[in-house]
Amino acid sequence: MTSLHVVLAAALLSVPALLLASLALGDQTVSRADLRSLFNGSATEQIRMIVLDLRLPRALMALAAGVALGIAGAIAQAVMRNPLAEPGILGINAGAALAGGLVIVGLKGAGAALLPVAGFAGATLMAAAVFALSWRNGTSSLRIVLIGIALGSLAGAGSSFLIAFADVADVQRLMIWLSGSVYAASWETLRRLAAWLVLPVVLACLAVRQLDLMRFGDDIAASLGQRVNLGRAFLILLCTTISGATVAACGLIGFIGLIAPHVARNMVGEGHVRLIPGSALVGGLLLMAADLVGRTAIAPAQLPAGIVTALIGAPFLGYLLWRRRHVGQ
Amino acid sequence: MSVNETTEAGSGLRLDTLSLGYGNRMVVEGLDLKIPSRAFTVLLGRNGSGKSTVLRACAGLLKPKGGAVLLAGKPLSRFGARECARRIAILPQGPAAPEGLTVSDLVRQGRYPHRSLFSRWSRADEEAVKEALELTGMADLREQPLENLSGGQRQRAWIAMSLAQQTEILLLDEPTTFLDLAHQAEVMRLITTLVKSRGKTVIAVLHDVNQAARHADHIVMFKAGKLVQQGPPNIIMTREHVRCVFDIDPEIVHDAKTNAKFILS
Repeated sequence: MTSLHVVLAAALLSVPALLLASLALGDQTVSRADLRSLFNGSATEQIRMIVLDLRLPRALMALAAGVALGIAGAIAQAVMRNPLAEPGILGINAGAALAGGLVIVGLKGAGAALLPVAGFAGATLMAAAVFALSWRNGTSSLRIVLIGIALGSLAGAGSSFLIAFADVADVQRLMIWLSGSVYAASWETLRRLAAWLVLPVVLACLAVRQLDLMRFGDDIAASLGQRVNLGRAFLILLCTTISGATVAACGLIGFIGLIAPHVARNMVGEGHVRLIPGSALVGGLLLMAADLVGRTAIAPAQLPAGIVTALIGAPFLGYLLWRRRHVGQ
Repeated sequence: MSVNETTEAGSGLRLDTLSLGYGNRMVVEGLDLKIPSRAFTVLLGRNGSGKSTVLRACAGLLKPKGGAVLLAGKPLSRFGARECARRIAILPQGPAAPEGLTVSDLVRQGRYPHRSLFSRWSRADEEAVKEALELTGMADLREQPLENLSGGQRQRAWIAMSLAQQTEILLLDEPTTFLDLAHQAEVMRLITTLVKSRGKTVIAVLHDVNQAARHADHIVMFKAGKLVQQGPPNIIMTREHVRCVFDIDPEIVHDAKTNAKFILS
């Protein structure tokens, strides 16, 4: 039993532990006896509603979205060959925000219901635009990063402009969605997210060798028989579908995609055969924990999970930069 | 067609009126060249003479603007990417590995073109990696992180990765640049072993003319994208050729002991 096994066992055990905590804690604490009563069918209607209809889908939604963001982040870092990359670099967040702004301003109150669809469409369109614009006899990781940042700021300016003209109540709805939250989770949204994620996640697990090789740069990868441009397009498509689906389900939750792969790398190393499941596990745990903290820290008020992840994420980003301060000297 | 030519066509590399360039800028135009099989060929020339460009094209990393690179008589573009990588390995100049890899992580990448999507790590893969590590003298360092290695060791680790590819043809772009003399000699010895006892075809871009004169079986000299001269070192290492290719006025010294020529600039 190595330290790796201990860490992994601890991480795996944390999933049910956090899940139980998410079911028990909140505005109204559910006692251990009440939780047990759910299993033998003697639970009251109120307990059943709180735990089974509200907290369980919400916790599972946080788990699923975190898993998805962790995987999308690991893919983005490999494809971009940049440890500071995350799906947002592909313009996914900015595209979703812009599309959200458009429906909110364009359709007034009716637009709110369309936010998930608009978010997914905006995210994928933006990623497609970044990829298309960086194409010049093939793509390069650096061009994708630069164009992603440029288009991202352009879209950011666009959404700020739109927000200035929108109705205050609509803007507030948009901002809540943008700040990323799993509070609206239901079995229905959870099912939809899971259905969207199954195929791309399976494909990501099958692409582990491509991901390993991609990090070596185009020349080495091509010389070992990888079709670099095709591979990159495919992996970006995976990353976009995975994070686009999460944006549609819970809005913009930042930093999980950046942090989860780094934590996982410290646990299981660089090989993607371990890094993809590792990032998924860490991402799921982080988002479940963030949501739990968000709804208990200043209860009865709730902090959207996206704000909690940003509160953890920003210092972590600083730490990453600090730890890599000698790289490149 | 003689028997000899048929066998040569079986594995040989030939450039047929090959034109290469980047964007609108042409680097090489209408180059015809036959690379001798199971021999060590060195491409010589000044910076920008097109030798590295030719090497990249030989591995299929650069698409020809005209003409073709023929492998066993068939254009490279007709081979699939993996098939090509099972037959030709190339080590680009100054390759960079991602952080945190060990020597064995790197060398195992060499098996990529031999593995299909669902195939597991096989005995053949393990053997190939082991052999590559032993040939390069890296077996003892296999668990070391690449960052901990010296320049010479790191270069040998990369060569080991290319060897794990188990190709007939190995292309090396300036494999000795940035290495000290002892490590340069090591790499040269390794190349000689690969050619003489493993029957590999090795093509390398070298900057050191004397290294080429001493170790190569065949030398190809480039100047401004044109082939100036080719042949065995003893025949083509003349004062005029070196003067023409490198724009220097050299002394040529013949060393009776190794039967090699040395260029004093």
